[in-house]
Amino acid sequence: MASNETATSSYQDRTQYEDLTPAPDLDQKTLNKMAWRSCFLQASFNYERMQAAGWLYAMLPGLEKIHTNKDDLSLSMRHNLEFFNIHPFLVTFAMGLIASMEQKKVDIPTIRAVRVSLMGPLGGIGDAIFWMTLVPILAGITSNMAINGSIAGPIIFLLIFNIIQFALRFGLMNWSYKMGTQALDSLMEHMSAFTRAASILGVFVVGCLTVTMGGTQINVTIPNGTTEAYVAHTAVVENDKVDDFAIISSDAEGNTTAGMYAADGTTPLATVDADGNPVTAGAVDLGNGMSEVTYMEMVESPVSIDVASILDSILPKFVPLAIVLFLYYLFAKKNFTPMKGIVLVLVIGILGAGPFGLWPSIWG
Amino acid sequence: MEYSALQVILVFIVTFIAAIDQFSFLESLYQPIVTGAVIGLILGDLQTGLIVGGTYQLMTIGNMPIGGAQPPNAVVGGIMASVLAITLHLEPNIAVATAIPFSLLGQYGVTLIFTLMSPLMSRADKYADEADPKGIEHINYLSMCLLGLVFGAVVTLFFVGGQAVGQQVVDAIPTWLNAGLSAAGGMMRFVGFAILLKFMMNRDMWGFYFLGFGMALIVSNIPALATPALLILALIGFGIAYWDYQQNTELKGAAQLMDGGEEDGI
Repeated sequence: MASNETATSSYQDRTQYEDLTPAPDLDQKTLNKMAWRSCFLQASFNYERMQAAGWLYAMLPGLEKIHTNKDDLSLSMRHNLEFFNIHPFLVTFAMGLIASMEQKKVDIPTIRAVRVSLMGPLGGIGDAIFWMTLVPILAGITSNMAINGSIAGPIIFLLIFNIIQFALRFGLMNWSYKMGTQALDSLMEHMSAFTRAASILGVFVVGCLTVTMGGTQINVTIPNGTTEAYVAHTAVVENDKVDDFAIISSDAEGNTTAGMYAADGTTPLATVDADGNPVTAGAVDLGNGMSEVTYMEMVESPVSIDVASILDSILPKFVPLAIVLFLYYLFAKKNFTPMKGIVLVLVIGILGAGPFGLWPSIWG
Repeated sequence: MEYSALQVILVFIVTFIAAIDQFSFLESLYQPIVTGAVIGLILGDLQTGLIVGGTYQLMTIGNMPIGGAQPPNAVVGGIMASVLAITLHLEPNIAVATAIPFSLLGQYGVTLIFTLMSPLMSRADKYADEADPKGIEHINYLSMCLLGLVFGAVVTLFFVGGQAVGQQVVDAIPTWLNAGLSAAGGMMRFVGFAILLKFMMNRDMWGFYFLGFGMALIVSNIPALATPALLILALIGFGIAYWDYQQNTELKGAAQLMDGGEEDGI
């Protein structure tokens, strides 16, 4: 672990590759190999870095060709292992761009910023294409074929889905790689401005992800005493029984706990119902010897403070923001390793859920 | 119903492949419409397999992994629905409903694996430090095998042990453990975010982080924009970044000229 940490610090300090000579263009075979490997983007998916190791796995054929210097390869592998999450079917678009930047030996903060920026838009587009359009339509049609007993259902489903998937994977890979190599030539002139702009977009996207991917919420209700309120009841009784409902019962101080009138016997009690409409006690003669009586009963109900709604009224997604900033503080100022961060989060998660039922779970 | 050893092994292999395929490889072999037919073939009742697979598939259409959410697991659910329908002669709809506890179990399993897989990343960092591509490859292969083995073992157990075992296992998992692991799983991405920020952040950049946070709060709370939220946000972010780029390149000259012009005017 000690050697690991020294290596970590040296990797953090380096913002440029040693060998800054642009590498020759990647051949078609390498690009195809990367596109094929992109199918395994989520092979080692986990909640800390998500697709990072799968991303690196897919990038490696290109990275190994580009970085002939071992130190540079190590540096490139390290920064390509940072948190990454993108739509799995559109990942080759990002791969082509990043491969072209690696090839031109762009400095690492710029590559990182572009990679992070790409996480935002592609996820939404991919979900819209695949999970909301293609799969519902395709699965809807082929499922009905299968339900009617046709083996063609699953076969057509697999064929169409995979033709589209692979056309996208290989097409995007080639297109974005070529686009990246061409665009970079003109961007190279203003590299520092470009790095700054890409970092702005990258940091902006991380801010957005904190909201859109941050589902953590503290869901605690704290009991805060009780409140007494009248609850209205109605009953239909014979006319001569109406007076029985005037004051049914009173407490020690003479206040009516159930009945139609306050202690003085003339002021009708009033309350509001669950919908917020006012209700007044009293009796209505129905004209058939019966009366409809509206009387009140004092009910004690617990009052509680809902922490989640208070937090939301201060700032929605406050909890994700606070955790990210706290972890940033630990990593940036306290030299926490990612591993320590994970253990910390695991402990907080389990403790918050009330292990062995010791206390109620705070997660909602 | 008695199964031959071959059938048990084949069910295991199908689950192994489907479990991996739900996240990697073709990402379509695992769909119930496919696994239903394959399980039907293995158990000698293709028709029932097709019908159950199709029925289950229709149910999952509203339950897609949008935005990285974990719906009830279609691998375990789809395979178990076909197994139950064929072995217990259940109606397709009842088989699909009976398989729900199993699919929930699969969902727990995925959450657990994704949480426990996180520490593996420090191992990956070490391979990167040593510039060892083989190590990275092995981590990915190993992870896929683990996922396949866990799913394969669980489904085979249910296949042999029957429906009662599934319910017992679901009941045996304490709710606090499940709640704690999924809460921790939901927070682990913040570790990734914080590390990214550590690398990208300097004094000038904090404003853009909070700008992104605030804009995302607004956009994601408008129901009509919920689906394209990230795309809209990316457009806004791009606009800001591009404007900054122009400020530092093309417009720099223009701004200086304008300053000069104003001075002349005064």
